[in-house]
Amino acid sequence: MSAVELIDVKKYYKLGDTRVDALRGVSLEIETGEFLAIAGPSGSGKSTMLNMFGCIDTPSEGTVTVDGTRTDHLNDRELTRYRRTRIGFIFQSFNLIPVLNVYENIEFPLLLQRSLSRSEREQRVMHFIEEVGLADRIRNKANELSGGQRQRVAIARALVTQPLIVLADEPTANLDSETGLRIIDLMREINDREKTTFIFSTHDSRIVSHARRVVQIRDGLILDGTEKDQV
Amino acid sequence: MLVLKLALRTLLRRKSRMILIGLLVAFGTFLIIFGTTFTSSAAEVSRQSIIENFTGDFIIYSARSKEKPSPFAFQTPLPNIQNVPQIEKVLAETPEVSAYAPYAQNFAVLQVMRNGSKVELPFIFYAIDPASYRGVFKNEKMTAGNFFGLDPATATGGSEPRRGIVISDFQKSQYERNNGVTLSVGEPVTILGVTEGGVSAATSKLIGTFEPRYYKNVFNYINFVDFTTYSNLYSFTGVASLPQGIDESLSNAGQSDSGIFGLASNNAFNNLDLKNLKEQTLSGYTMIAVRLKDHSQAERIMQLVAAHKELNIKVAGWREASTYFAQIASGLQTFIYFATGLIFLIVAFIFMNTLIINITERTDEIGTMRAMGAEKSFVRRMFVAETLLLNTAASVVAMIVAFIAIAAIGDRGIPLPDTISQFLIGGGNLPMRLSLAPFVEALVITLIVSVIATLYPVRVATAITPLEAMNER
Repeated sequence: MSAVELIDVKKYYKLGDTRVDALRGVSLEIETGEFLAIAGPSGSGKSTMLNMFGCIDTPSEGTVTVDGTRTDHLNDRELTRYRRTRIGFIFQSFNLIPVLNVYENIEFPLLLQRSLSRSEREQRVMHFIEEVGLADRIRNKANELSGGQRQRVAIARALVTQPLIVLADEPTANLDSETGLRIIDLMREINDREKTTFIFSTHDSRIVSHARRVVQIRDGLILDGTEKDQV
Repeated sequence: MLVLKLALRTLLRRKSRMILIGLLVAFGTFLIIFGTTFTSSAAEVSRQSIIENFTGDFIIYSARSKEKPSPFAFQTPLPNIQNVPQIEKVLAETPEVSAYAPYAQNFAVLQVMRNGSKVELPFIFYAIDPASYRGVFKNEKMTAGNFFGLDPATATGGSEPRRGIVISDFQKSQYERNNGVTLSVGEPVTILGVTEGGVSAATSKLIGTFEPRYYKNVFNYINFVDFTTYSNLYSFTGVASLPQGIDESLSNAGQSDSGIFGLASNNAFNNLDLKNLKEQTLSGYTMIAVRLKDHSQAERIMQLVAAHKELNIKVAGWREASTYFAQIASGLQTFIYFATGLIFLIVAFIFMNTLIINITERTDEIGTMRAMGAEKSFVRRMFVAETLLLNTAASVVAMIVAFIAIAAIGDRGIPLPDTISQFLIGGGNLPMRLSLAPFVEALVITLIVSVIATLYPVRVATAITPLEAMNER
């Protein structure tokens, strides 16, 4: 079963009198459990495509299906609920909540869900803290962590609700290359263990090489013949 | 719980800015408490001062009057009250009444001799029964002589003569400045009054000078005459009763010339025993100021007294009788309310703008929360919680400071510019009186206004989309 499917998705914006075409008819199917990179230069439409997957943007034309449900016609409240239960986000700038510590940041999405008991939450949070190797940092605030550690917290936070898909927009852009590679390796290991679908955007060719499948995008279009599976 | 935790930690994280905003809100809250206490104290002191110094709790006046009673309406004196003894009887039998003072306001001319010539001086006065007036009003601080021979401590008794005039120091200085006449206590004067029949005169003497304690702006111009002298001047004195035959003859004498000759030939008139005639003071009083033991009963007692239709009277509450004084006090209070409200609105506006800046800086954080599935209502609650926490804390600080400040000022009072003080409370410092209401009002107003001031910033916050967090760099 496909986790996400885009069919002929177009997205354009109005900038004054000018129409900017971010996506110009993109079709793509991503299976559950994939570890996929969307690669392309800045402004190519990578982030816009990721936003469609993540239900934080809707297409101007075309259909978006997430976990078997068309999301392109859902309203804001429905999209919010959909994101809460099915999508995990990893941001380029980590976007940890500054007033919360490592444990609380990871617990935050579970508190929004309000579906688990305190002990279940604790068990789940601790599991992912250990997954990302931050067990000795649980009481630290974001500003007391290095960039790599912050991104590990963000990964744990994205995974804690056990979402269908984890979306990562340029997750290594604010990290040095060595840390960036370690983060990608960590994501890949978790993908192996948890079978969570990972979709990340990048323009870094070294990072791309770690993906199992790569989709190249340029000027709002998937480049023919660039979609390939890697081992 | 999550919302409160986030709100509290956000406030602590942005300590310096939040302290500044908190101080601003605390200042606004303090102003409300202090301003409201100031105005309520002013209202209370003003009411008390007016009642104690020139109206009493209410005023009785003639039903024939077309005007409202005013202790300062010297140009248009009220009609005389009839039935004064009966009114006094009703008041004496009303246990809630603590004291009453009949009096009249009028104007005349004082005539004194200087260098063999007569000098005439303008003279505005209250004609009073000194003992009953002193029982109700104690505004005159004597600077020379005495107040109609009354004991200053008890306002009763005394062996000095009770007849004469008492003038204000200001009036005395006005005579010196404008007329070149320096009056001394004990000096004989002639009072010239204008009556329907022409000008009448009564001899008297200056028995004291005073300085008003309150409302100098009006009482500097008001002097006093004892009522017996006033009655003599305006012929309010008569004979209590005459033998029936004389009464008829007197009545006929007023009708025709033969009636006059008839009176002369009346044996009863010729044999009248003058020693046995009783003098009666006819009423020249225009107002009776009434003091109650408990002011809160004023409305009920006014109705009770007014219900005596046979007395042919009207009653007016202190506010009506105080004319423009109560209005000026209310006006000043309104102004203070308005100024306080305006300052608080400015505080609310600054608060709102700071919140918007705060939200703009937190676009990333809000967008992230929204991306993770936080609903708009969650964001809204988070900001409202921040506002309520901050403003409650600021209000509590303001309340403590205001409590200390008001308690410290207390009866010593706040010095006011003399003109304002005279109109607002009759003069002197304004004592500040602690009461719960301004504190509760301030807390409620602060919280309501701050929540309202949060509405627009919250709208801005909830309009932030997850997309903005994704695109935030």
